[in-house]
Amino acid sequence: MTGPTDLPKDAGHRLEELQHGFFTSDLSVNEFLLVKECGFHPLGFVMGSSIYHTGIQGRRWSKSQELDKLTEAMYNARELAMTRMEEEAEALGADGVVGVRLDVNYYEWGSDAAEFIALGTAVKAEDGKSYRNKLGKPFTSDLSGQDFWTIMQTGYVPQGLVMGTCVYHIAHRGLGQTLGSVGQNVELPNFTQALYEARELAMTRMQDEGNRLEATGIVGVRLEEKTHQWGSHTIEFLSLGTAVTKTADEVTLPRPTVIISLDN
Amino acid sequence: MTGPPDVPEAAPRRLESGSFSSGLTVPDFAACLQMGLRPVGLVQGFCAMQWGWYGAGSPYMRGMSPYTPQGSGGAYAQTWYCPHGFVSGEHRMWGQNYEQVWVEQAWLQGFNTAFGRLIEEAKEVGAHGVIGVTDTAHSLLESNVAEFHVLGTAVVVEGAPPPPKGEPWSTYLAGQRLAKLVEAGFMPISVVASIASVRVWAYCVTEYLMEGGATLWQTQGTAPVQDVEQVSEGLLAARAIARDHVRRQLGTDTLHGVTVATSEREIGGGDQVFECTLRGTRVRRFKDFDPIGAPRPTVRLS
Repeated sequence: MTGPTDLPKDAGHRLEELQHGFFTSDLSVNEFLLVKECGFHPLGFVMGSSIYHTGIQGRRWSKSQELDKLTEAMYNARELAMTRMEEEAEALGADGVVGVRLDVNYYEWGSDAAEFIALGTAVKAEDGKSYRNKLGKPFTSDLSGQDFWTIMQTGYVPQGLVMGTCVYHIAHRGLGQTLGSVGQNVELPNFTQALYEARELAMTRMQDEGNRLEATGIVGVRLEEKTHQWGSHTIEFLSLGTAVTKTADEVTLPRPTVIISLDN
Repeated sequence: MTGPPDVPEAAPRRLESGSFSSGLTVPDFAACLQMGLRPVGLVQGFCAMQWGWYGAGSPYMRGMSPYTPQGSGGAYAQTWYCPHGFVSGEHRMWGQNYEQVWVEQAWLQGFNTAFGRLIEEAKEVGAHGVIGVTDTAHSLLESNVAEFHVLGTAVVVEGAPPPPKGEPWSTYLAGQRLAKLVEAGFMPISVVASIASVRVWAYCVTEYLMEGGATLWQTQGTAPVQDVEQVSEGLLAARAIARDHVRRQLGTDTLHGVTVATSEREIGGGDQVFECTLRGTRVRRFKDFDPIGAPRPTVRLS
């Protein structure tokens, strides 16, 4: 599944052109300047895609449970897209990828199939120092140019975009249960536990990925909830963030300058 | 409802691992380090509540008059009397506003339960405080289930002794907004939130029974005047109640960074609900204000 052969032929041609100093990027002008300011040069716009069959898994109407096959599918599909993007970055000799976006698209022609796509701008340090992560691969991060500059000032370096997912089926309530609590606003402990558990699982898995990269921590964690095409009781909890590692040197952060705008 | 079994199994495993996760954006993360705070983990609490229209006027109470002379037992109830001037037992009241205490209590229960679990997780990671708290309440799965989710980043104050046994402090603020608060000499104590729910009925019971659903607001004559009055009184009351709820939680402390959100929902003709949610951070002075340096004037050239 890995290795450059995984990428389409046209990618090779596109990447070859990029190796001669010409670059593409989806950075804004401000982001470009900030990436340059902290000593990185954009190499090229990289991407990876994977079309994955994400069918439905059998589930019991009245039981709350994780749908592990679906969890696995949603995870593997994103992982494949990310790996292919990393391969493109690798082919360019990049140190990392900034501004990574992970999207899921559904097409009319493929029911139960979804395209997972990862996009970002590959960058390389200008001082020749390697910023690759603990696994020897280019780091990935969903940081914007501004965020990338700021994190580099704090003495932390990005290691990788980490994620964890959990597809969970939330039990339907039986008629008896519903009628039994008519007339009161009360906590529904079963729902609480199921949803709580699902979120914690997604977050734990994300953190496990961070630990694999020997990261100090994860910044900018987002929790997303989507039902995709499964109906309201089957929910994917996706947790995403950028794993960062503290570099050895102690950094004293400069006090921000207080400014007053004279513009109207 | 408290004690470790309240938090799901996966939580301790996540919180015990060596690395931290934080919901802070990079600028907020940088500001947090600059203040000498070290993030130790993303903490959350969660509570799913059954949510419905109960009490006066709910489908489960059909057949009862929505009008009760005392309202619903809340602090606020206001009645508009029939302008026709003839006296009859049924045809006296023509419109009523009242506080929906059961909605407020349920909301508070959901919020407090979820918040309590967040604090529990924060204690588990040995945090001094929780910053950048967000809370949401929205309907889920079935329309009669509401989920309360409270999320924040637990932090440790670098160089400070381990946190006392009590609750960690918490705040909705993060980043430079928190830094400015501390610079001004205030420490956050706790997030404070409350909701007020006011039901506005503009039904005449007699007309409702005779014609089925006629409302005062659709009648001609003096109606529009009362429409405006009843609505504005309802909105005012919702804001005042939310403020009073929060005031009761403050003690001698100050409230900072308040957001007020008011929503209106029309249940039917002449039947509305006004809700007012008030959120803020309870703060306490711990040192004098240090004057900051003079700001540098800037002009943008774009």
